[in-house]
Amino acid sequence: MMRQRSWKRRLRSTLTGYLFLLPTLLVLGTFLFLPVFYSTYLSFHKVNLLGEVSYKFVRWANFERMSGDERAWIALKNTFSFVVFVVPIQTALALLLASILNAKLRLRNLFRIVFFLPTVTSSAVLTLIFIWIYNANGLLNRLLETVGLKGYNWLGDPGVALKGIMLMNIWSTAPFFMVVFLAALQDIPESLYESARLDGAGRWKQFTAITLPLIKPATFFTVVMGIIGTFQLFDQSYIFSAGSGGPNNSTLTVALLIYQYAFKNMDMGYASALAVILAAVILFMTLLQRQLFREEKLG
Amino acid sequence: MPGSMQRFAWSRAILYALLVLYAAVTLVPFLWALSSSFKPLEEIVSGKINFIPHQFTLQNYYDIFVKEPLFLRWLWNSSLIAVVCTAANILFNSMAGYALARIEFPGNRLMFFLILAVQMIPGQLTIVPAYLIMKNLELLNTYGALMLPMMANAVFVFLMRQFFLQFPRELEEAGEMDGMTRFGIFFRVALPLALPALAAQTIFSFMAAWNEFLKPLMFVSDKSMFTLTLGLNTFKGQYISFWNYIMAASMVFTLPALAIYAFFNRFFIKGITFTGIK
Amino acid sequence: MRKTLSVMLALAVILVMVLTGCSKKSESGASSSPSASSAAPGASASASSSASEEPSRDPVTVSLAGWGSSPEEQELLNQTLDEFRAKYPWITVNYEVIADQYMDVIKTRLIGGEGPDVFYLDAFEAPALIDKGVLEPLDGYVTPEFDVADFEEPLLNAFKANGVTYGFPKDFSTLAMFYNKKDFEEAGIANPPATWDELKEAAKKLTKKEGGKVTRYGFGVAPELARQMYMIQAFGGKVSDEQGNATFASEEGLKGLQLVVDMKNVDGSSGEPKELGAGWGGEMFGQGKASIVFEGNWAIPFIQGNFKDLDFGTAELPAVNGKKGTMAFTVAYVMNKDSKHKEAAWTLLSYLTGKEGMKTWTSKGFALPTRKSVAQELGYDKDPLRAALVAGAAYATPWQAGATLPTITNNFNNQFLDAFLGKQKLADAMKKAQDTANKEIAAGQ
Repeated sequence: MMRQRSWKRRLRSTLTGYLFLLPTLLVLGTFLFLPVFYSTYLSFHKVNLLGEVSYKFVRWANFERMSGDERAWIALKNTFSFVVFVVPIQTALALLLASILNAKLRLRNLFRIVFFLPTVTSSAVLTLIFIWIYNANGLLNRLLETVGLKGYNWLGDPGVALKGIMLMNIWSTAPFFMVVFLAALQDIPESLYESARLDGAGRWKQFTAITLPLIKPATFFTVVMGIIGTFQLFDQSYIFSAGSGGPNNSTLTVALLIYQYAFKNMDMGYASALAVILAAVILFMTLLQRQLFREEKLG
Repeated sequence: MPGSMQRFAWSRAILYALLVLYAAVTLVPFLWALSSSFKPLEEIVSGKINFIPHQFTLQNYYDIFVKEPLFLRWLWNSSLIAVVCTAANILFNSMAGYALARIEFPGNRLMFFLILAVQMIPGQLTIVPAYLIMKNLELLNTYGALMLPMMANAVFVFLMRQFFLQFPRELEEAGEMDGMTRFGIFFRVALPLALPALAAQTIFSFMAAWNEFLKPLMFVSDKSMFTLTLGLNTFKGQYISFWNYIMAASMVFTLPALAIYAFFNRFFIKGITFTGIK
Repeated sequence: MRKTLSVMLALAVILVMVLTGCSKKSESGASSSPSASSAAPGASASASSSASEEPSRDPVTVSLAGWGSSPEEQELLNQTLDEFRAKYPWITVNYEVIADQYMDVIKTRLIGGEGPDVFYLDAFEAPALIDKGVLEPLDGYVTPEFDVADFEEPLLNAFKANGVTYGFPKDFSTLAMFYNKKDFEEAGIANPPATWDELKEAAKKLTKKEGGKVTRYGFGVAPELARQMYMIQAFGGKVSDEQGNATFASEEGLKGLQLVVDMKNVDGSSGEPKELGAGWGGEMFGQGKASIVFEGNWAIPFIQGNFKDLDFGTAELPAVNGKKGTMAFTVAYVMNKDSKHKEAAWTLLSYLTGKEGMKTWTSKGFALPTRKSVAQELGYDKDPLRAALVAGAAYATPWQAGATLPTITNNFNNQFLDAFLGKQKLADAMKKAQDTANKEIAAGQ
């Protein structure tokens, strides 16, 4: 009797689970999964999609080609340094802002709205605005000069171009994660903090002992999405360098490289292979994160 | 006592100062964009850096709103798409996130993994197959093409999953004891208490749909079906950028999304969610 | 539970139905529904019919795609299309504007079989598309009255491959020397430089410094291949060879490029716009940050509209190594090979690039006509500002060099900037660019 009931229960659970997932799976399946599988399929072929359509199975050839492709390595290096620099700072800044703005502060709402401005703006518009700020005669340099520092040729100098994009990126995506943290912070009952205070715990202790553990899922989200987002950096790099990835490949990200191969060279097979490798790298980093965070298991 | 009070006041002051500084840094670029939108192209390219326009003009906005006959149509398209997609997103993503977080079923882990994994392929690559799929579904140039791909979003499914993970089980267990089905628990217990996360999702989904550029660019060729982002982008010449129009257009884009955010921001105020648990 | 479930499912189904049904299919339907095409009975796809038979007058819709342009240019195009419709009322033109990333969108549409019937194609991109075999050869459609000989040869050749014409250029611009008359007066220079050596001298005199920082360069440079290609050729170098491999780092090629680099690093008399905070040459020139720039026709309305007080003139580019040279940028109308209305498409294409259509399109001077007769009729060869541009058409190098040019350009631009800024020696930078480009080209074969 008991066994029958639990079998039914599991079936019910499964059905319900998939039913809940159904609309999402339909949409994502058609418009995301399918194209992705198609791209993965393409990565093992030499493809010509424009004109005379042809598919030639070449197994690992595309992947082998990558090891000799200098620009692919540069792109990977650029992207990597971008991720390593941006994600931690972005996460910390988002958490900091959220914590500050969660407390009772005057003009709190005004601050929240102003800080969110960069995220609300599309990245294309932001980049255009930043091209002005980074202009050799522009605001940033003028500011630096008034403080006595030297101005840089942010747009034209390979050494600083990528850093310029990094700064802009942190500034524009931190608020997004700030909102996520704000939502997570709402769910921590005040009573926990109260009892901690009664126990004599200071602000910092409260933060590390109560806040941090309870917002772990949100932190995991922020870090993973941060990694995925920065690994896929395209818009800013494209607009900054007018699609070239220069000066001297300094703003070349993997996503931009993939785009160049896909659309400029019409080499879909190789572009897909690059994308697969990129996905593998991101996946690896995500799994690493998971270990570090040791996520709560279900049930 | 007085010493620590003083320290407290100081640290507060510094905090405010930092916040104001950061706010200023954030505002300045937008103030410039705003002021540029009221300048003629002449003044923008002259190289002067002034926040108050010397030749204040409303011509840029006039050209965008009035002279462009399709402007209202584009505004309607974008708004319709954003609203429908946001509503769909809230429902679908939350359901999916809840399932992944709270329902045990075989393949749960796999589904989560897949949803996460597909985001790792850059959109620039998947747009060509997506286009082919659209063509085969005969959805090119339709609202369907603009709405369907954005009705669910892997990122927000992930977000809702994380949110539901940190959700207290007691309420759900109470619901089960009362004989509620999963659906009941979801709609009557979980969802109402997930308001902050839903508010976040509303903001983000709206923004994503509103700012989407690549998909409308590829899927729609009929000018009257353009979204606002597309339509306002046609103000670029082949060799010359019309910064005055671009900035005016940017202001027009940003304001609705900002308004939505300002409105939903109130849901991040404590007190709306449950209290007194444990 | 069942009730909520069924309600939800019903809603979902309705939603999907509503969305797919309530669509605004484009009126023409030219690209999406084959049934709408009413190809004239008797007019076969083979081109010879157009010359011998009376073309059909059944109503037909043709799609035309182009990129965005300024409101004034849009008006001109609309005017041209209106005149076309007046002459050929049975042909409806569905004009689509592609808001951004023009080539990406065109390529995607061509892959999907939804390409427009007639569309813009830049000479730079032409070889790649011709190679892929997606363009319709046009020689068979040409009639004597179309007067092919009227086109400037270098521009026409940019759209030919193996003697077959795939497009007719609709307009062009070359590079001319824009010089600031007031600056010249101040520096006591009577005439615009006619040779590179004279340019060097003039640039040195025209460079202004304030407190150790340059405030105005004598000569503003755009360090990209699109602008420097003719310098490579000046001493006999070539950007690429017949197989499409990059060859710009040859000794001859380097000689020309070295002249440019030296003016910056040795003479200190030239720089790129970004160094002084300008977006491009036109801005740099207008803001008074350069006394001489090499720019094209588009700069004229830009400067006249935004820098009204600037007193400037144009002249042909200074001769290098005893030869005159300049770049030509041209765009053609091409026809989709898979077009279902080739007759009507040709009628449109030939009108737009014919004497009447071109005259209307280029009447305001935003772009220059590629037909000698139209140029003369509109007086551009005598126009004080545009004469230099028109004269250049006879000896210009079209910005194009085979299907591998995009790859070569990318690598060249990447490294040349470095050399220009003095961070690498020119020879090293160019060798590196050439090798990387060739590796990429080989890998892509």
